[in-house]
Amino acid sequence: MDRTEPVDRPIGTTTVAGGRDAEDEVDLIPIRTYWQLARQRFIQHRLAVIALFTLLVLVSIAIVVPTFTGLEYRLTDLTERNAGPTLTAPLGHDELGVNLFVRLAKATQTSLIIGGAAVMIIVGIGTFVGSIAGYAGGWVDNLLMRLVDIVLSLPVLFIILMIVSFFGGGDVRVIIIAIGITGWTLAARLIRAEFLALRGADFVQAAKALGAGHRRIITRHILPSAMAPLVVAAALGVADSVVTEAALSFLGFGISATEASLGTMLNKFSIYFYSAPERILYPSLVLVLIVLSASFLGDGIRDALDPRQRIASK
Amino acid sequence: MTGPEARVTSQDRPDAPPDPESGSPLWKPAADTGSHTGRRGASGAETAPDAQGEVLVKVTDLVKHFPIRGGLLGISRLGAVRAVDGVSFDVRRGETLGLGGESGCGKTTLGKVILRLLPPTSGDVSIKDRPIFGLSGSKMKAVREDMQVVFQDPYASLNPRMTVGEIVGEGPLVHGLKNRVKREELVRELLGKVGLNQSHIHRYPHEFSGGQRQRIGIARALALNPDFIVCDEPVSALDVSIQSQVLNLLDDLQRELGLTYLFIAHNLAVVEHISDRVGVMYLGKIVELADVDTLYRDARHPYTVALLSAVPEPDPRRRRKRLVLRGDVPSPVNPPSGCRFHTRCWLREQLGNPENCVTDEPELRTISPGQQAACHWSEKITPEGVQSAAEHQPPVALAEAAAD
Repeated sequence: MDRTEPVDRPIGTTTVAGGRDAEDEVDLIPIRTYWQLARQRFIQHRLAVIALFTLLVLVSIAIVVPTFTGLEYRLTDLTERNAGPTLTAPLGHDELGVNLFVRLAKATQTSLIIGGAAVMIIVGIGTFVGSIAGYAGGWVDNLLMRLVDIVLSLPVLFIILMIVSFFGGGDVRVIIIAIGITGWTLAARLIRAEFLALRGADFVQAAKALGAGHRRIITRHILPSAMAPLVVAAALGVADSVVTEAALSFLGFGISATEASLGTMLNKFSIYFYSAPERILYPSLVLVLIVLSASFLGDGIRDALDPRQRIASK
Repeated sequence: MTGPEARVTSQDRPDAPPDPESGSPLWKPAADTGSHTGRRGASGAETAPDAQGEVLVKVTDLVKHFPIRGGLLGISRLGAVRAVDGVSFDVRRGETLGLGGESGCGKTTLGKVILRLLPPTSGDVSIKDRPIFGLSGSKMKAVREDMQVVFQDPYASLNPRMTVGEIVGEGPLVHGLKNRVKREELVRELLGKVGLNQSHIHRYPHEFSGGQRQRIGIARALALNPDFIVCDEPVSALDVSIQSQVLNLLDDLQRELGLTYLFIAHNLAVVEHISDRVGVMYLGKIVELADVDTLYRDARHPYTVALLSAVPEPDPRRRRKRLVLRGDVPSPVNPPSGCRFHTRCWLREQLGNPENCVTDEPELRTISPGQQAACHWSEKITPEGVQSAAEHQPPVALAEAAAD
């Protein structure tokens, strides 16, 4: 198709005149900044908006309730054992008379803190390893990716259990670090693949031709374009960490039994599977909501950050 | 035209050490004038330099092989794709050197290696008599002010997350123009120069059409005020009507700023339109290098002859036989012995398959002033021979031609 004779230019046509031809519908679109456009695209993603709202509700409950109730989540009151829902205890009390709503709020807080902190480690290590491997390529890439393979081949839960039992169970910080240093491989792979693809992209080559340094190329050109896998990795990381923490606590290796977490609650109430299934339902529901919201929110942010995504006209 | 005098005054004086400020960007104080247009205005008037023109870029025996690795750890070397295999040529100041050839002949790789976007396997490239391979980071950065690039795909070559202002202003920023206001001023001037509306400075690339994006890419290349621009198929991704606009823009800019282009394209009509001299590549080698008129009138390499016969004729009444090459381009991993073209050469067939085509590799030799070709039998090419070769093509080739 492109094998054509260039049209001869009429005499006297200047560059500026050529430019006038080129200028068209672009002028009709109002100028909006990158973030304005991103917000607009995000709002169009209905599921993501719902997810954001759900997460905000969960986070505010997790912040507000424990702040005002203090240590009430471990307060037993035998006069209230197995009591039904009331205004101050909308989810009722357990067999020791603990206010289940307060305890669930505290448990949500613990899980979110663990999920959030662990995901920072996951994304941090993952981005670091993945970007170096993808940008450098060659033997560096080979070496780092074999390291990823090794970490990936280890039985994760077993390693976490070992770390936790070695460095003291029940400590939130140990659990966060244990989840973080075993969970970064997916993030590293996603980011490495993106870097590998973007390294050869024309706009990166152009930046190189302009004389931009490695740091500038990575931070200004490749990383912003690699946001999509980064956000996906973070969303999956949050979901994964929360679930892993729940599994650990369920097995009795997580948070100490007196502290509240979604896993310890599930563990404790598993005996009521037939008699009082709602006690299992509440923490499970919170767990599912956190995981789903994180992943939908991730999708929404990823699409919102992509300037090529079209904004539907109203 | 003021010719020689103009060149002596505005360009580096012979024997004098290279003026450190002669290639300096706009915002750094230049020796003669600070203005983009004034600095090389006199020399820029001369678009068709004679054979004695000053050599701006010298490529010497450039080789680029891509190793094919395999084995357990990906370390053992199985072979190499010989993308560029011993290419030498000069680019003279103010000229446009066209580089043509089929896809896969190594022309894009050649451009990237010249810009040091890809590391060379061996050979040398120097700009303004300064070899660029082996320069350290900061020295190489300085050289980058002299040589820039315009890419083929204007959709891929602009960072989608940066505004036009950031894209065009990046070069100046990287090279020390930290002042935001001055940078924006410069970007606006450049946008005007490439025929874009200055108010588009805060927009993102995806809001523009292909031709406009290519103009942004050109503005980015101009921002460092380079002497030499590698245009890597700058119009082949564009709409036909836009192609001529962009070509004319490149032409105008060359005249105005005294730029030197290495123009890579597979479309020989485009190459003819814009070039002063043309090199034709085949399987990583230059097979013919000549002034544009000489090449299009009197090609001295059988491959060039065949390529030129494939250029569509705009006049439908002038019927011309196409010389269709049989078979595919041989693999650059294992190129044919002797002359790389011998497996598909119509001339060799006509001459009764002479032995030296298979055994001896032809050097690029001067056929006439301003024309070099790498063929043992260049002198045997006659219009009648071409005619009869086109007419006596075996039926298979004609069927292929019809299927095109």
